[in-house]
Amino acid sequence: MLIADTPPLLQLTQVGRRRGGRLAVSGLDLAVRRGEVVGLLGINGAGKSTTLSMIAGALAPDSGRITLDGTDFVEHPELARHLVGWLPERAPVWPELTVLEHLHAHGRLRGLAGAGLREACARVLGQLELQALDRRLAGALSQGQRQRLGLACALLHGPALLVLDEPASALDPVQVAGLRSLIRAQAAAGVAVILSTHVLAEVTAVCDRVAIMHGGVLRHDGPVGSDGQAGLERLFFDIAVRGQPAASASGAAA
Amino acid sequence: MNTLAVMRLELRRLFVRPLAWVLAGLTLAELGWRFVLLLGNFLGVQIKLAALPGGPGFTDMVAVPLLSSLLTGGLVPFGLTELAIVVVPLLTMSTLAGERGGGTLRLLLATGTPAWAMVLGKYLAICIWMALWLVLVLLMPLSLAHGTHLDWGKLAAASLGVALLLATLAAIGVACSAYASHPAVAATASLLLVLGLLMVNLGAQTAGVANGLIDWLALGTHLETMLRGLVTSADLVWFALVIAMALVLATWRLGTERRRG
Repeated sequence: MLIADTPPLLQLTQVGRRRGGRLAVSGLDLAVRRGEVVGLLGINGAGKSTTLSMIAGALAPDSGRITLDGTDFVEHPELARHLVGWLPERAPVWPELTVLEHLHAHGRLRGLAGAGLREACARVLGQLELQALDRRLAGALSQGQRQRLGLACALLHGPALLVLDEPASALDPVQVAGLRSLIRAQAAAGVAVILSTHVLAEVTAVCDRVAIMHGGVLRHDGPVGSDGQAGLERLFFDIAVRGQPAASASGAAA
Repeated sequence: MNTLAVMRLELRRLFVRPLAWVLAGLTLAELGWRFVLLLGNFLGVQIKLAALPGGPGFTDMVAVPLLSSLLTGGLVPFGLTELAIVVVPLLTMSTLAGERGGGTLRLLLATGTPAWAMVLGKYLAICIWMALWLVLVLLMPLSLAHGTHLDWGKLAAASLGVALLLATLAAIGVACSAYASHPAVAATASLLLVLGLLMVNLGAQTAGVANGLIDWLALGTHLETMLRGLVTSADLVWFALVIAMALVLATWRLGTERRRG
């Protein structure tokens, strides 16, 4: 069955949110299906992080509706416990805890315990190559290592939806390649992934679809085009400069 | 389940942070010194006191004053109660305000943990730390129980009173931390609120006004009764009400966090 044939795991309908006295997100409609990787693009202040915070359950929308697996997510934020894994921007940590203690804490908060928790910790430590750092304090990690720890916490409970806010921002090229493989592997396993990034190559490398926001409004939502990064760049800069896609650029990307 | 997970996380953070250890070490050292002074004072007047029928004993002169100087004042005026007024706001200030400042509160919210579970988990962790603190202090007079006459009933009532006071201070501290944007603001607000509760009836007393309601509002009224060895349901209800109100307010504030952003 094609991804497009499956019902959306995540559905945002006319979602709006004010932050700091201004409209950060307005009238947002977006759907993400299982096994799909959606790249969320936009310049700084476009509303990407606010959107991802709402999708992760950390922020409630002022208007509109978010459904997760067919259930109202705003009314039932507890759905996030098992269904959503979130890597926020800058990967906040408890600096006084070790890497392993972080994973244990996140696992318990997600309902894991005992052998299941230990196995999940071992799995993500291996996936993110954090074994050698498992007893290091999170406060002593580099930003890249913190990023990997945040990603490990997001993957720990095997979520159905993975929300990644600039996951590659502090990683080296080798780690970026590893991250891309990991995202594709998650998608192949049926996980819906939505990631925000400033790196257009990231989108063409791993995403099935691209959504571009500008001024809190979704300006483009479509598959990553066959003309790859060049087409995406044209589309992105059209939206970033003019606020909307040129008809030809939009068509080229789609 | 989530309450336990939050409690374990908070306890772990509390026990690996130097602040909790430094506070515990300094306060236990001060209380140990106070215990020695109180004991020396008691031994000095013991023979005279023995001649008085119903005169104060070890419990009145050493064990209870170690917990609070509310009744006795004087000799080293910092019992456990007086230290707790400063120590508990310092312990609770980061519980939620620190999480908010460090960005980890968003992470906790995104785990689907209900606000009440977050507040209760953090509150219980602080209560466990303070219970250990109280037990270590009580071990000082209890270590002499075999060689002296302890009034177990009076000591139990006083210990219950101090335990309830610590639980109340923790609840107020967690509530202040839920509302504050910075831990220092939370600690200051918590300290001022507790001082307000302690002194609410002092003005009325100084002016010679006897007002039952103002006296009832004051923390000291309820603690003093228990330090004297009397446990009344009215006092228990006062402590339960203040704790419940503080925790409900903290939960309500945290419940709006997703909407506030």
